[in-house]
Amino acid sequence: MIPLVRLSGITKSLQGNQILTGVDLTVHSGEAIAVLGRSGSGKSTLLSLIGLFDRPDGGSYLLGERNITRLPERRAAALRSAEFGFVFQRFFLLKHLTAAQNVAMALVNGQGWLPRRKRRAKVMAALDRVGIAHLAKHRPPRLSGGEQQRVAIARALVREPRMLLADEPTGALDTETGNLVIDVLHEATKEGCGLVLVTHDWEHANRMDRVLRLSEGQLGEAR
Amino acid sequence: MIRLKGRLRSALIIGLQGIRARKLRTLLSIMSLFLGVLAVVVVQAASETARRAALGETELTMGKDGTLQMYVPTEGKALETALDTVKDRPDVVATTDMSAIIGEPKVTPINRGGMPFAAVAEGQGGPRLTRPDGGEFICGPRGCYPIGQKESSLPETPGQAIELRLSAMTGDVRQFKPFRQQSGQWLDFASAASLAPRIVLNKEAAKFFGTYAVPAEMRISGATANMTPQILGVVDDGIGEPRAYVRMDELQNWLPAEQLRQGGTGLQLLMEPHATDVMQILKTRLAASGLEFAQQLRAEPVDSRERVADQLALIRWVFLGMAGLVLLIGVAGILNVGLATVGERVEEFALRRAVGTSRSLLAGIVLAETLLTGLLTAGAAIGTGMLALNYVGRYLGKVHPVLATTEFPWQAGVAGVVAGLIAGLLGGLIPALRAARIPIATVMRA
Ligand SMILES: Nc1ncnc2c1ncn2[C@@H]1O[C@H](COP(=O)(O)OP(=O)(O)OP(=O)(O)O)[C@@H](O)[C@H]1O
Ligand SMILES: [Mg+2]
Repeated sequence: MIPLVRLSGITKSLQGNQILTGVDLTVHSGEAIAVLGRSGSGKSTLLSLIGLFDRPDGGSYLLGERNITRLPERRAAALRSAEFGFVFQRFFLLKHLTAAQNVAMALVNGQGWLPRRKRRAKVMAALDRVGIAHLAKHRPPRLSGGEQQRVAIARALVREPRMLLADEPTGALDTETGNLVIDVLHEATKEGCGLVLVTHDWEHANRMDRVLRLSEGQLGEAR
Repeated sequence: MIRLKGRLRSALIIGLQGIRARKLRTLLSIMSLFLGVLAVVVVQAASETARRAALGETELTMGKDGTLQMYVPTEGKALETALDTVKDRPDVVATTDMSAIIGEPKVTPINRGGMPFAAVAEGQGGPRLTRPDGGEFICGPRGCYPIGQKESSLPETPGQAIELRLSAMTGDVRQFKPFRQQSGQWLDFASAASLAPRIVLNKEAAKFFGTYAVPAEMRISGATANMTPQILGVVDDGIGEPRAYVRMDELQNWLPAEQLRQGGTGLQLLMEPHATDVMQILKTRLAASGLEFAQQLRAEPVDSRERVADQLALIRWVFLGMAGLVLLIGVAGILNVGLATVGERVEEFALRRAVGTSRSLLAGIVLAETLLTGLLTAGAAIGTGMLALNYVGRYLGKVHPVLATTEFPWQAGVAGVVAGLIAGLLGGLIPALRAARIPIATVMRA
């Protein structure tokens, strides 16, 4: 079976600092991968390359059979919308929009247009999937941290991406709420979605299919 | 196409969300733009109103824009031929002017030579001139007249009579010159010709009738008898000398064609722009009767619109320039707010890019916000302009009747919308470009 994502020999330097020196990573659909590493080791940098926020200096990046190592920005935007879902430590919700509107944001982005009714159905399904459909009309300031993070996950899931990228999604949450968020993310992989989870929490990492460690700019098995 | 439509809708929806989320900011932006847009609307409304008023005045005297006019000399049988040619043509009106005196018989008219009312009221009409040989003249608008020289059998002392220009017409001239009815009725061209000629006075002539008790007896040199005209009403024809209008056929009951030819000023034809066939027929008929001038006859279009435009264009541009300056100050205001908020909204923009919004759409969203703000401002300014014009019409209309009928010119509305959009574009462009350049990876780093 063709893997979802294949990185080989990926290098990246930021302002003269060599952050990644040769990262190899293969993710299959339905596979959950944890990435550990010291602060500053380049985990977020790696995710930003996988998620097409940025392009690598060297190496190759295949998405399915498609080589997207040097993708022009316009195509990258379309792929981000269609193939990837993102969750961050800070939730990055827009305060002036309701939970439902925050989720709908990933649909109303110029990449294909859905009629209002279909859009609503998709938004509600995504909110339901993370268990907060009843909070659809609430704005972020009225939601708890865990609820806000679940809105963010619903936003990542609403396009039914093939790949979920989560950068310390539990970093701002207490243990119990954190576990709940990991449950929700892990649930998504059961429907065939790939997951790369950056975390500092060994317990969370151990629930994934594979645990990798980033150090000296390279990825290696951690257990 | 579908993609573009989707992007446009996305930009508008998100832009509207942004505006609603930041009501105070939007209000401040509107306030900073308001004066500039209002200035543009007012200048445009005022100049358009002035243009319409000026055009109305010009059309009164010259005819509506595009009307064809042609002069036919009265040589030979030209007059009869022309009158016969335009007969039963609703799109052509032939007119001829002559001098007429209404009032007591055998007296010199109060306004000898057809002087305007004001000149008579001032005393002796125009300035007195002295010729080197000692003869004295009075000059009025129709020329100079010797004083103390017995030029006619009429006595020197003026009696109860006034002199005016009588315009005889074959059809309703108002289709070309939109005279404003002041009182009474206009000539009725549909009914059978009346034996007593029915006349309509212009405002200037009506002043004489209001001031002097003039018996209704009309003298035209060459007429078979003095007629007793029936005065139907008064119109404003924009002309500053006394005039009366009469149906050609009613006048012809009293005035043989021979006299019409001698006393009149020639025939003026006013034609609808499409009625060029009449001209051809007339030329052919005149040429057939051996009149040599036939080939030189030419119809000239009336260019009232162009004339008026020339007069007002410069003033309009000067004022629009000043309004534009005020608008620019407003643009600087929303540019300032826009740039400040890009910094504030870095995370929002990066997030939008992260979920797949392209750079161009993101720029579009920021632009949509300022464009919508510009449109809101235009709406407010146009509303204010309409109210103001309504007020002006209601209160100043009592003083200056020309201002009473001012309706809001659509050009002012268009100008307001355009000004609002341009201001939105200028104020939003730089913030939009900045927003599009925000690097996602840097912002979305946990
Ligand atoms: N825009 C940038 N320019 C230059 N250097 C940068 C930039 N962004 C990050 N870095 C550097 O790159 C290195 C990797 O950063 P990164 O954010 O990927 O680390 P991380 O593993 O995610 O750390 P943490 O666990 O603290 O989130 C750091 O040393 C950081 O200082
Ligand atoms: Mg990080």
